[in-house]
Amino acid sequence: MAAISAPLQSEPNLLARLMGRPTSGIGLVVLVVIALAALLAPWIAPYAPVKLSVAHRLEAPSLTHLFGTDDLGRDVFSRMLYAARTSLSVALAVVVFSSIVGIVLGLMAGFFKKLDMPVSRLVDAMMTFPDILLAIALVAALGPTAVNVVMALGIVYAPRLARVVRASTLVIRELPYVEAARALGVPTPVILVRHVLRNIASPILVQGTFIFANAILAEAGLSFLGVGISPDIPTWGTMIAVGRQYMDQAGWIMMFPGAAIVITVLALQLVGDGLRDLLDPRLAKDI
Amino acid sequence: MRRLLSVAALLAAMTLPAVQGAWAEPVKGGVIDVATVGEPPTLDPMASTADLVGIVTQHIFETLYTFGKDWSITPLLAADLPGISGDGLTYTIPLRTGIKFHDGSDMDSADVVASLQRWEKVATRGKQAAEVISSIEAVDASTIKIVLKKPYAPLVSLLAFNNAAAIIIPSENAGEDPLTKFIGTGPYLLKDRKPDQFIQLARFDGYKSREGEPNVYGGARKQYLDEIRFVPVPDPNTRVEGAVAGQFAYADALPVEAYDKISGGKTKPVILKPFGWPVFVMNTKEGLNSDIRIRKAVQAALAPNDMLTAAFGSTDFFTIDGSMYPEGFAWHNKVGTDAYKSDGDTETAATLLKEAGYDGSKPLRILTSRQYEFHYKMAQVAQAYLEQAGFKVQLDVVEWATLTKNRQDPKLWDIYITHSPFLPEPSLNGFMSDTTPGWWATDAKHKVVEAFNAESDPAKRAKLYEDVQKVIYEEAPIYKVGDFNALAAQAPNLQGMTPSPWPFFWNAYLEK
Amino acid sequence: MLRTIFNRLLGMIVVMALVVTIVFVIVRVTPGDPAAVMLGPDATAADVAALRSRLGLDQPMVVQFGRYVLGVVQGDFGQSIFLNQPVTTALAQRAEPTFFLTVFSLLIATVIALPVGILSAYKRGSTFDQVATTLAMFAASVPSFWLGLLFIQFFAVKLGWFDTSGYGGPGASFLERLNHLVLPALALGLVSSALITRFARASMLDVLNDDYVRTARSKGMSEWRVVLKHALKNALIPILTVIGLTAALLISGAVVTETVFSLPGVGSLVVSAVLRRDYPVIQGALLVIAGLYVLVNFAIDMLYLAIDPRVRA
Repeated sequence: MAAISAPLQSEPNLLARLMGRPTSGIGLVVLVVIALAALLAPWIAPYAPVKLSVAHRLEAPSLTHLFGTDDLGRDVFSRMLYAARTSLSVALAVVVFSSIVGIVLGLMAGFFKKLDMPVSRLVDAMMTFPDILLAIALVAALGPTAVNVVMALGIVYAPRLARVVRASTLVIRELPYVEAARALGVPTPVILVRHVLRNIASPILVQGTFIFANAILAEAGLSFLGVGISPDIPTWGTMIAVGRQYMDQAGWIMMFPGAAIVITVLALQLVGDGLRDLLDPRLAKDI
Repeated sequence: MRRLLSVAALLAAMTLPAVQGAWAEPVKGGVIDVATVGEPPTLDPMASTADLVGIVTQHIFETLYTFGKDWSITPLLAADLPGISGDGLTYTIPLRTGIKFHDGSDMDSADVVASLQRWEKVATRGKQAAEVISSIEAVDASTIKIVLKKPYAPLVSLLAFNNAAAIIIPSENAGEDPLTKFIGTGPYLLKDRKPDQFIQLARFDGYKSREGEPNVYGGARKQYLDEIRFVPVPDPNTRVEGAVAGQFAYADALPVEAYDKISGGKTKPVILKPFGWPVFVMNTKEGLNSDIRIRKAVQAALAPNDMLTAAFGSTDFFTIDGSMYPEGFAWHNKVGTDAYKSDGDTETAATLLKEAGYDGSKPLRILTSRQYEFHYKMAQVAQAYLEQAGFKVQLDVVEWATLTKNRQDPKLWDIYITHSPFLPEPSLNGFMSDTTPGWWATDAKHKVVEAFNAESDPAKRAKLYEDVQKVIYEEAPIYKVGDFNALAAQAPNLQGMTPSPWPFFWNAYLEK
Repeated sequence: MLRTIFNRLLGMIVVMALVVTIVFVIVRVTPGDPAAVMLGPDATAADVAALRSRLGLDQPMVVQFGRYVLGVVQGDFGQSIFLNQPVTTALAQRAEPTFFLTVFSLLIATVIALPVGILSAYKRGSTFDQVATTLAMFAASVPSFWLGLLFIQFFAVKLGWFDTSGYGGPGASFLERLNHLVLPALALGLVSSALITRFARASMLDVLNDDYVRTARSKGMSEWRVVLKHALKNALIPILTVIGLTAALLISGAVVTETVFSLPGVGSLVVSAVLRRDYPVIQGALLVIAGLYVLVNFAIDMLYLAIDPRVRA
């Protein structure tokens, strides 16, 4: 558990230190490349992701189609770039959404004694559901849109963050200077933001990185099962689902998106590990 | 590259078993596993129109009539074709005697009357028939009589159909809804069922087969196999992989892409040509498509060639065909099919759209699901062509469960995608009734459909069907995309099978 | 101590009550109609309405909820709409593949992870450690369904070593059924080994630095004895904890894996129940799984309580 960790280092310093470690350095570079590819998709993709050409379906990778074409003759490489946009932005949105919910719940439980019991029990209850199962049920309930997938996965991951935040807050609340601030009549929201949030930023950042990685895997799983984002928006998961039908005729449709997931998640984990080692040496010994 | 046998060679391969059968005497015994598309929602064939329900339950339950070669109607539990009175209102049906139910009791006219009355109440096709039926009664222990309010030619086809089927069950079970005792007269009886795992059927020793030779669903039904086990495998790729690994004697409804994969060794491909037709159903009641000009624009814009290629790969698995029934059916004709353009006619579509005053602000909503991957692929290609013609298109991709619900609500969609086998009787097609989603109900339709339903002479009916097809193309309540073939996999040692959209396994045997 | 146990029990009951409510709410706001699905494509609106009323789906929410809670308390999860059998029966029939899939994946994961984790910790910073740590991370990055697909393609279809799908027919022997579990368990086990490896490594590092291990070393005990006898013994409890939690996580992984391999387990039951809108089954399965998780957690809590007096406070 994160007791009191070093306040978040200023950005350039942290980046430089991450880059200084071989593993997290590689991870960071890979992430930046993938993020750039996603951001610049409209400019670097050779074809429009939805451009059909039934006559050129299932063509093997070549110079005209770097990663081949899919069942409707669409360019797999271009679709992967656009899929990266969706998959990454959905996962990022999950991180933001679950962080907000998790931080609010965690602060409530950790700072206000009266709220601890009900909030903690709610968090416990939410954590009893296996993540994919809960997400499937939620997406089925809300409808298969990107926003709903983000909400569902956000709800799934928020409790994990809430626990970390609560644990840290419990410790910080008792710190002499926080007690002093309270005694001086500093308003609670100010204390929460100025003292507590600042102190728990590191574990949140570390957790956030892992939630990012998990969210990419979970979104792919949902899309693969057909209960994710609407299938006409390319994501890595939906591309694998389509590619499965053509596994032996056109293995590339499935292989490339799968590899993209592995590489991205691996890079995120490397960076997450690096962050944890740097920010929170005590935490580094846990998983 | 896809290596496909020519169709001729395939047909030869398919008829081969019969030839061999003449040489080698079929062997009794053996157990087969059949991979089906999923768990049937019920084993009561009256209660569902799902093909899957029909495929499984046709082994357990039997109807008075069934279909023989070329979809001719042939008696099954009835002793003979019905005697029809001169005014076309009274059908007298003689029953076979000595037929036993799986519980050992004898079938008589009381069971038949009770079953048909249940059918009128429970089955959708029965309810359709009930509107014209005035009474069903027993004449004696082995004869029944159906009296109609007006002449209705499709009646015997409805009695023969294997889903929403007019099955005969013991009269004491006919009061049940839902059915809990699955007692029929069929060649196989229900032995055990573990939902999502298997449905186990065993030979019914008290079965009395018709005399003579097998005639597709009719004629003699031989019980060579000891057991038939239907294994639900909802994922099509898993069905393919199981077939390739030799796990199933028969695997139904495979994706056509798997053709090469199942061609080697432990299994061989079976092509059902033609199997059925994919269809875009238009909402004629509300929304954009309630305007016939918009519907005509859709009709012009769609390009079946690309849609079918994307959905079924190569012309080995589809035919570009605007006729409602392909060649080989009595109903085949080409009237009105000029409106069916294999590569679409974007210009005409754009002009029609302009005339209809469509400004591109309101999207054309296409409701589809990925339960059947080819539906979704056709939807994607259709979207591209419709957009080219000037439509704004919105694909609503939902689960099949949601689709079956949403299509009931005329406010939610403009087009929904489905498919159907070629039903032996045109009146059985959903759009022929005014109340099925799509809600096509115009004077022109009523005029031609009523004339068609009242006529009982087959030759005259075929001629009258030309008028029906003409109106279908003029008013565009549906868009038939083409004909498609289905792919199944069969173990090389499974013999005596007759290719059929609803595969059956009596008459089949395992070669030693 | 009794009070602590009592409090934990009470907490558990509160959590389960919340779980029941959450499940009910999620399931009931789901669009799609089980009645329409059951009746097939040609059903009329009147048919659907009739079936809905027979299934009790036309009752007010509160009434449905009341009936549901009453049933659950009595161990009655209702009747599956689609399968025409009690939910408890449906679950029981599918428990076996899920149970063995979980056990075997866990076994595979542990057999790989324990030695690798311990050795990594012992040789901290060595090439072995770095390779092992990176491999573990790699394993955790692979989507299990994708790995499953690759396995099917290679081992089942190309090599024909294993059955690809299902769980054997009626009367299939236990061995035949196990054959169906090899590939899914391998796919799931490999992916889950990552977590256990990393945890085993961390726990071992923790104890290897402890005083008594150093003492044992200074006394001249053989290295292996130090590691296996003293260190491992103390690292075992946190490792067991993570194995327990991995078991709970595996159920989640089993959902996708069972679907890929068409295993008739609890996971694929839930997925198909969602697609079929079989409300009672979704509710029942989520409840049972959540209940198992709560129980595992409770057991772990009790274990700590028994071992570590500091927790009792």
